[in-house]
Amino acid sequence: MPTHFSTTKTRRRFLQSSLGGATAIGIGAATPRLFAQAAQTGSTAGERILVVVQMSGGNDGLNTVIPYADDDYRKARPKLAIATADVLKCDEHVGFHPALRGLRDLFDAGQLTVVQGVGYEHPNRSHFEAMDIWHTCRRKNEVREDGWLGRLLENQRKAPGGDAPALHLGTEQQPFAVASKNVRVPTIRDLAEFQLRGQDRQELRTFLTANLSRTTAAAELNDPLLDFVQSSTSSALAASQRVTQAAQSYEAGVPYPDSVLGQKLRTIAQLIDAGLTTSVYYVQHDGFDTHAQQAPSHEVLLRQWSEAMAAFMRDLQHHDHAQRVCVASFSEFGRRVAENASAGTDHGAAGPMFVCGGRVQPGFVGDHPSLTDLVDGDLKFQVDFRSVYATILKDWLRVDPDPILAGSYGTLPLFS
Amino acid sequence: MDDLNASQSTTLAAGTHSTAMNNHIDIDWAWQPYQPSADRPWNHRLAAHVFRRAGFGVQRQALDDAVARTPAEVVDGLIAVDDETPQFRSVADSLMQTVVAGGDPKRLSAAWVYRLLFTPNPLIEKMTLFWHGHFATGAEKVTDASLNWQQNQLFRQHALGDFSKLVNAISQDPAMLIYLDSAVNRKAHPNENFARELMELFCLGEGNYSERDVQELARCFTGWEIKNDRFRKNPYQQDTREKTVLQQAGLIDGEDGVRVVLEQPHVERFLARKWFRYFVADEPQPADELLQPLADCFREHDLCVAPAISMLLHSNLFFSPHAVGRRIKSPVELIVGMLRSLKATTNTQVIAQGLLSIGQGLFYPPSVKGWDGGRAWINSSTLLGRSNLVADILKSDATLFNQQSLTEYLASFDVHNSAQALDHFEMCLLPTPLDDATRTQLCETFSVGGGDREQTLRSLLHAFISLPQSQLG
Repeated sequence: MPTHFSTTKTRRRFLQSSLGGATAIGIGAATPRLFAQAAQTGSTAGERILVVVQMSGGNDGLNTVIPYADDDYRKARPKLAIATADVLKCDEHVGFHPALRGLRDLFDAGQLTVVQGVGYEHPNRSHFEAMDIWHTCRRKNEVREDGWLGRLLENQRKAPGGDAPALHLGTEQQPFAVASKNVRVPTIRDLAEFQLRGQDRQELRTFLTANLSRTTAAAELNDPLLDFVQSSTSSALAASQRVTQAAQSYEAGVPYPDSVLGQKLRTIAQLIDAGLTTSVYYVQHDGFDTHAQQAPSHEVLLRQWSEAMAAFMRDLQHHDHAQRVCVASFSEFGRRVAENASAGTDHGAAGPMFVCGGRVQPGFVGDHPSLTDLVDGDLKFQVDFRSVYATILKDWLRVDPDPILAGSYGTLPLFS
Repeated sequence: MDDLNASQSTTLAAGTHSTAMNNHIDIDWAWQPYQPSADRPWNHRLAAHVFRRAGFGVQRQALDDAVARTPAEVVDGLIAVDDETPQFRSVADSLMQTVVAGGDPKRLSAAWVYRLLFTPNPLIEKMTLFWHGHFATGAEKVTDASLNWQQNQLFRQHALGDFSKLVNAISQDPAMLIYLDSAVNRKAHPNENFARELMELFCLGEGNYSERDVQELARCFTGWEIKNDRFRKNPYQQDTREKTVLQQAGLIDGEDGVRVVLEQPHVERFLARKWFRYFVADEPQPADELLQPLADCFREHDLCVAPAISMLLHSNLFFSPHAVGRRIKSPVELIVGMLRSLKATTNTQVIAQGLLSIGQGLFYPPSVKGWDGGRAWINSSTLLGRSNLVADILKSDATLFNQQSLTEYLASFDVHNSAQALDHFEMCLLPTPLDDATRTQLCETFSVGGGDREQTLRSLLHAFISLPQSQLG
């Protein structure tokens, strides 16, 4: 176990400073509360972190983890097949797209595991519907009011007063996955934006913070809507305070690519290193809906993803956090095995998932799905995505997955 | 238990997010017109509620005028469609023509903000915004500024008019059909998108039709297409065989399809529920029985919108604690409301861009479902964004109050110190009274003394608008 003196010290320092002028306040609590207590106990060294990278639009799994030795691959993809010589081979059957050099390095370093053929029964091929299924683990005919990570956060119910339990980084709508009844997940576009503006910002912060800690809790006034806005305002102020301070003294261990995803992951590394107790981070990497002229755009997307992931893992390692971080990448569906007439691919079903981190059991889970035994022209799924979730919940975050997934799913050998 | 009583009252079912409230509401009472009484007096606070909901707020003088009249007269005045004055219209229209000629849909938002700020018919704009969220199309996909504007004018024209006419017009509206990929609709491949949304999102609500109805209705619309930015029917692509939609069989075209959909009793219930949400309360969700009288009114008037909205705005329910302060303000309601209530003018481009960043870009709804509203408006990012947008507005020298400084504007109401300013803001902007502790704290933190008086008053306003209570309306 590496020691984390620096982390602990950093965290102590900024908690103290945030308590200096104004009174710091709770996040996610039903009513705002003081959290002086949390300041004394806030060590994060042992806490494990999950980072979810959503590849939006339906990533072509078949051209990501390539069954290069299979003749049927070339038959199905006369225009789009990657030449065998270019494939970054992992074994005698499969290899990575040539743009995935960084990912391949992680694989070689024993920091990556690939789960083959992840999906679910009766796949839905609508982006929105499929994404909702991945986010909520529920089908359209079921009531969907929260996401799987939202339920995790509710389940954890960290003591009020700490950092936001989860953060979403991006400009898009908040993912359904983090929605829950009682826990608010802040969205951060960039660090600068997450600060109060205006000449009077100091007075305003002081005023609002004091006001929220003293006002009669709206719950007592039977005003759930006001209660909600009050707790959300507390959450906004507290998170803003932490994020501002976290940004001040960070030096990345490695250069990050200049892509949006790279910068998002860099921000997450900063926040982790600052000692936030946030245990879930969520980012999206959009553009995988490659219906036409797929090759060039897919290559760019994969390169951005791979370079950002590799820089992130190296940076975490440099700062001694790799052992407590797990990064999971998924897409709402794979694409059809056969390419279409526009040198692209249409919406499909099963696809690979990628789990990175300092404590993964490296390699492949499962063989590549058959290219001939198809359902409606799509790969058959071999692993239910909820089994991957269950493994992350149970073996990584050490919580009981059953109530969160509303069912019992077998776990996989993902972590060492 | 008294059965008669039970049949006349209903419980507001708990919304998905809220705890049970157990508000027993007598249905007959709910829809009777509000009559002021000693218990429920007609005052500035209620008048401000009416103007906030049926528009975007008014300044102090208009509240004084309103309390001198009856609430019924005030509501009638809002419903009666005064035509926009020629002056207002010529400025607003020429602004829009410039934008449309420029071709950049991003500038459309600012031109609409101008209307929202200065329209003499706020209820018309409020309903235009409602229809924009109801029949949501986005300029991200429909990039032609003039088509977006044409659709917006359609909403304005039918804002309180005949819903059937509006639905017929929207089903031939170029922006809508382009947005839903229905600009080409061929006999061999009927496009189900518009047919589905017509029933799911526009008229009936999910679960009130079958998948087969979607397929059959889609066939009715074959041959409907957009060519050179205009709607036309292509007889060669029309599927002329018999169809069965919602149990009605026959040889029907698109107009017949719309008619059959509009005959369903789900139409009036679906709209009544959305209006309740828009004008009365975010949560808890009302029971069907509570909404039925409003739905009936809409149907009895052949789906004319004005009588139903009039019934709603006159009702006991609308003037009751079940409604006042029971909604989270949309970004437009918050920002335009603040400006209108203080007769403020500012850079409309800043407002338009700011609204987009806090979740309500005009002409840029997030999906065909429109804005979810309610709690979905609020997260850390949008809350900080709300406060920051107000900071940007108040920082700008371009922001004036009745063409004056805030100091001069407030002085014209005999407001000279922080306590008086708070009274003024509270009356115009807040649905519920400010508690004493907050009031004292605001006065102490932002006390008008030496220093920069104008800056202090603006900071006071900024803090006031950033309060959680100010997000409710």
